[in-house]
Amino acid sequence: MNVENVYARQAIIQRMKRRFTTYGYEEILTPTFEAYDLYAKMNGTVNHREMIKTIDNTGEVLVLRPDITIPLTEQLAKNNEEINERLRYFYVLDVFRQAQDTNEYRESTQAGVEYFGSDAPEADAEIIALAIHLLRDVRVNRFTIELGHSGFFKQLITQMKLEKAALAELIEHIQAKNTTEIDQFVKRHDLASDLQEVISALPFLYGNPLAVIEKANKLPLHASMRQTLTNIQKIYHVLQSYGIEQHVVLDLSLINHMDYYSDIIFQGFIEKVGKPVLMGGRYDTLANQFGASIPAIGFAFDIDLLLSGIETEKLPKKAPLDAVILFNKKEEQLGLALANELRNNDYVVLTCPNETKLSDEVEATWTIRCLDDRYELKKGSEIETCATKEAALQLLERKDVRNEP
Amino acid sequence: MTQLTLALAKGRTAKDSLKLLQKANIIFPDFDTKSRKLVFYNEDKSIKMIYVKAVDVTTYVEQGAADIGIVGRDNILEAEADLYELLDLRLGFCRFVIASLNESEFVPGKSYKVASKYTNVTRKFFQKKGIPVEIIKLNGSVELAPIIGLADFILDIVETGSTLRENGLEVVEEVEQISTRLVVNKASFATKTDAIQRVIDQLKEALEEEQQ
Repeated sequence: MNVENVYARQAIIQRMKRRFTTYGYEEILTPTFEAYDLYAKMNGTVNHREMIKTIDNTGEVLVLRPDITIPLTEQLAKNNEEINERLRYFYVLDVFRQAQDTNEYRESTQAGVEYFGSDAPEADAEIIALAIHLLRDVRVNRFTIELGHSGFFKQLITQMKLEKAALAELIEHIQAKNTTEIDQFVKRHDLASDLQEVISALPFLYGNPLAVIEKANKLPLHASMRQTLTNIQKIYHVLQSYGIEQHVVLDLSLINHMDYYSDIIFQGFIEKVGKPVLMGGRYDTLANQFGASIPAIGFAFDIDLLLSGIETEKLPKKAPLDAVILFNKKEEQLGLALANELRNNDYVVLTCPNETKLSDEVEATWTIRCLDDRYELKKGSEIETCATKEAALQLLERKDVRNEP
Repeated sequence: MTQLTLALAKGRTAKDSLKLLQKANIIFPDFDTKSRKLVFYNEDKSIKMIYVKAVDVTTYVEQGAADIGIVGRDNILEAEADLYELLDLRLGFCRFVIASLNESEFVPGKSYKVASKYTNVTRKFFQKKGIPVEIIKLNGSVELAPIIGLADFILDIVETGSTLRENGLEVVEEVEQISTRLVVNKASFATKTDAIQRVIDQLKEALEEEQQ
């Protein structure tokens, strides 16, 4: 990575951190090394083979942080069976995975939030609104949040009583919206006609949330599935109050491979990036695995995937230096004293000892030359002279050249 | 206007795919299979077509380098890519089959060698059946493998079965029906829904016309 890319990446991260803070979320950390046991007993979350493992000197197997939601929930659940307050956390942390087929190690930075202690539609909407606010902040051209509901599909499959292999096949077809194969599947498996109708309709339950809910309600649904639709509708109405409903579509065939999601799930897509740049959802049952009952919802952005979709001209650019100070050995003390004075006042200053000419690569708002008894300050064609460093500082302040750090 | 990138598979089904696109009013005037050009535009430039190897179509679409693709289900199954498979274009029909020279069934407890261009499909098929096999990857003339004793079975696509017959091979089992499909990148479907839906509707209409 070159310095421009590092700068843009850090600037985006700073902007995101600031946004999390404006919603009242507090930053949190999780350890880099974690016990493998935490993940070993959990199925349907992080693929065990994708984790990067190491062994400590007692023979304990450790993994490099493969996930953030799980250790956070575990930590919280260990200390509280229930919580009465609402906890809003954000993080920007690296997660480590090993690609299964290529043996390639992958380190990716995730920026995300977790909101513990509320299962209300208002909490869901706050989280989705925050995700949309972040996407607006980074100035991506076009983005869409796809909402889904993992409960909707789970309620459907409990009625089907399919074998594991058949279910996996059906999930594959639904995830591909492969109507041809779905139709053949329902015929082959002799499902009740009500179920056939719902499954065949799934790929088409995509689009404007209210329209999709209306369409879905015409299907022969189980009562619990209708309740789910009402819940999505409630969330959507809060999103309308935020004034962001135009960014949201509903996809009732959305299935997330993370088993811990229990209710609403969502993913964010931006132009020119083939994969979701953010994923999230409600995971009310995850804390149960640690003997607690804590409703929670969260999401995480993949920072590098997000960056790959932002056009170069829209990436944050490094500002030029505020001032460059040129001086000879004779004026060394004068030059360094001025540099110190300016730096103490937060100006970005580069000193060039033993140089009288500015090199072409350096870009600065002010070029300052130290002469025997005075400073010569040049900005474009404008030239000013100051007798003391205090006067030079005053001049810079008056001209207000300071770039935002 | 939203521009869509379409990846079209070279080879067997390219001609028929283009014919169907033409019926759907998606016409590439400067397209010519003999030309070395790889990028073509339709009349109003709303669609940019890239003409690529069939095995690469799913890669282009999954990565988002192309929004939509037209490719055989044989390649989709082999790639195991995460994308939408929205429409059966009802062309390029063929079948995935298991064939052999002298074996007519799988004897339990015996282990076999299977040659194929489609190693993922092969692995999945035998895993599902619970039969342990050694898979040998070949890139062409797969029929040769049983003849010279490299493998007991092959898994391959057949259209009419004449190549198998000419080489003395017989179909042991049918694995899957294949036809050409329209695949769509999931992010494109979310961010360019209307433009993609328009193409799908146009193709559907053309398919209905064909049926009559």
